[in-house]
Amino acid sequence: MSGIRQIYGKEIARIFRDKRMVFSVFFLPVVIMVVIMSIMNNLIAGMEDDIERHTPVVCISNEPESFGEFLKAADLQYEIKNISGEKEKRQAEADILNGAADLLIEFPETFQADIEGYADGDAIPQVKTYYNPSEDYSSAAYAEISEGTLEAYRQALLQERIGNLEQVTVFTVNTDNEDMIIQDEQKAGGKAIGMMLPYFITILLFAGAMGLGVDMIAGEKERGTMASLLVSPVKRSSIVLGKVFSLMTVSGLSSLIYIIVMVVCMPMMMESMTGTDGTGLDISLSAKQILMLGALLVVIAFLYSTIIALVSVFARTMKEASTYIMPVYMVVLVVGLLTMFASGKTAGYSYYIPLYNTALVLKGILAQEVTAAQYLIAFAETVLLGGALTGLIVKAFESEKVMSS
Amino acid sequence: MIEIRNLTKIYKLNRKQMRESRTKNPLKTAVDDLTLTARKGEIYGLLGPNGAGKTTTLRCIATIIKPTGGEIYVNGKEVRSQPEAVRTEIGFLTSEIKLDEQFDVDYMFRFFGRLHHVPADVLKQRREELFEYFGIRDFAHKQIKELSTGMKQKAAIAVSLVHDPDIVIFDEPTNGLDIITARSVTDYLRKLRDEGKLVLVSTHIMSEAEKLCDRIGIIIDGRKVAEGTVEQLYAQTGTGDLEDAFFELYRMNRREE
Repeated sequence: MSGIRQIYGKEIARIFRDKRMVFSVFFLPVVIMVVIMSIMNNLIAGMEDDIERHTPVVCISNEPESFGEFLKAADLQYEIKNISGEKEKRQAEADILNGAADLLIEFPETFQADIEGYADGDAIPQVKTYYNPSEDYSSAAYAEISEGTLEAYRQALLQERIGNLEQVTVFTVNTDNEDMIIQDEQKAGGKAIGMMLPYFITILLFAGAMGLGVDMIAGEKERGTMASLLVSPVKRSSIVLGKVFSLMTVSGLSSLIYIIVMVVCMPMMMESMTGTDGTGLDISLSAKQILMLGALLVVIAFLYSTIIALVSVFARTMKEASTYIMPVYMVVLVVGLLTMFASGKTAGYSYYIPLYNTALVLKGILAQEVTAAQYLIAFAETVLLGGALTGLIVKAFESEKVMSS
Repeated sequence: MIEIRNLTKIYKLNRKQMRESRTKNPLKTAVDDLTLTARKGEIYGLLGPNGAGKTTTLRCIATIIKPTGGEIYVNGKEVRSQPEAVRTEIGFLTSEIKLDEQFDVDYMFRFFGRLHHVPADVLKQRREELFEYFGIRDFAHKQIKELSTGMKQKAAIAVSLVHDPDIVIFDEPTNGLDIITARSVTDYLRKLRDEGKLVLVSTHIMSEAEKLCDRIGIIIDGRKVAEGTVEQLYAQTGTGDLEDAFFELYRMNRREE
């Protein structure tokens, strides 16, 4: 025990005594994340503002008089270009394609007369609009004009024809019903966070330990400092456990910092991305949930640390270890992605698949959907696997071929 | 006391190593049926050319590698069955073993002291003594990466002796040291011997072996070909100089390849 404590103490001291190391392990990634988030935030907000400020350029073919009057009455500011003939229409289409114009509205030639002289059984005139979904301005103009302004114009014409619109409305749906959404706010918040958090946690736990783990074992071998430990009276298993535990601590700490920053920044990010106020992500965890999460995170950190240590111990140099660890990191990334996008019912056997089951259970805890059996299976399997890997690392430490190569 | 009985160490070579040593035999015998006994109160020197098996022998004693055959007892403890107990008895140093560069000498000294279960008051006393002797006090709080090669070596020696071991094993003790540092190291080894400790060194430097060692075992191609005091070796080979004695033994025992 004393040996484990001494090794653990040394590894932790190695990190925390070095200001640059502390900065690069714990703070730099967070700073980078916050900077990227706020840049994204600003860019998205800037983009939305820009689209809002932009006056849509609308080409109208055969514009009826009443439409112009309607626009004026409704105080809608568009840059209108009236066009006529096939040639100008083709030019307008080309302009939309290259972004010079945003929308083309094509009224039938006899639109005004058709509307005014409408009788039962006549063909209903069709207004056609053309836009370019790849252009932001054009998309926005389509959404605003084709789906909004033209509908309002239709209503206005309808009112002229019928007089009282209420006669034909019959009923409305949810025009005045603020309580229409019935859901468990926490569960919904948990679901949204539950989708992303397991992904980030699995990656962060692994990434947090990766660089250090490689340095702690392969690096020590390469620098010749491992040998000084090997000739001391400490048991090989104590060296391994001391290192694995310190790795766990660091990966746990760094992911904790990430998660705190993320929970603080996520509403901000969601706001700018979806336009909602982000309150859907308010999540308050019960004591039981926190306990379950905490215990699971500890064993996940343990498993990841042993994986990294095992890979590093077989490498002769740090460079070699970094090369070996990359494919493992990819697997962790893919597993995280799988859980992020997995929907529908999860098959029972999924909870037996190592790595994947922990991500599933993390998601389940946050969405309050996990059963005790699923949790225990994932928990026990992770501990056992981590223990087995630790055994392997100790074996590797005892092998002169591995340690003195 | 170190007792080596019929020690054999055979390495398995991988393809690259086989190509490098231009052999088709995947097995390389580094130490071949070596038997020797080194006692308390003497400096025993393993003398041999590079690749003779000196370092392999020392590494087997220090439990870094495992013997293929034979037994090694360190103060009565067998290396394969009681490796931790063996490591408590010895202080082992080679130029390949280095100290963590991010720490200062003082931290490393205390760290290894704790690993060896040295009580705090004894540790303080050892620190005073060793830092004073090797002149470490001036750079005790400097990070090891900031030290010169000689300073690093001195620090490594002090750290390896933190637990005041009964048996001190040094692989090429003066390798890479300047003449003054080398002298202080050999003087310290003599001091340890005079205190009744067993000092086992390996070297390929004839003059060092001649001056330092009480007894010398000459190793060629993994086998001990002669053993004794310098005078005994002269008498055995009919020479008056260790270098001549060595060449005589080398000529007689070199395996034909």
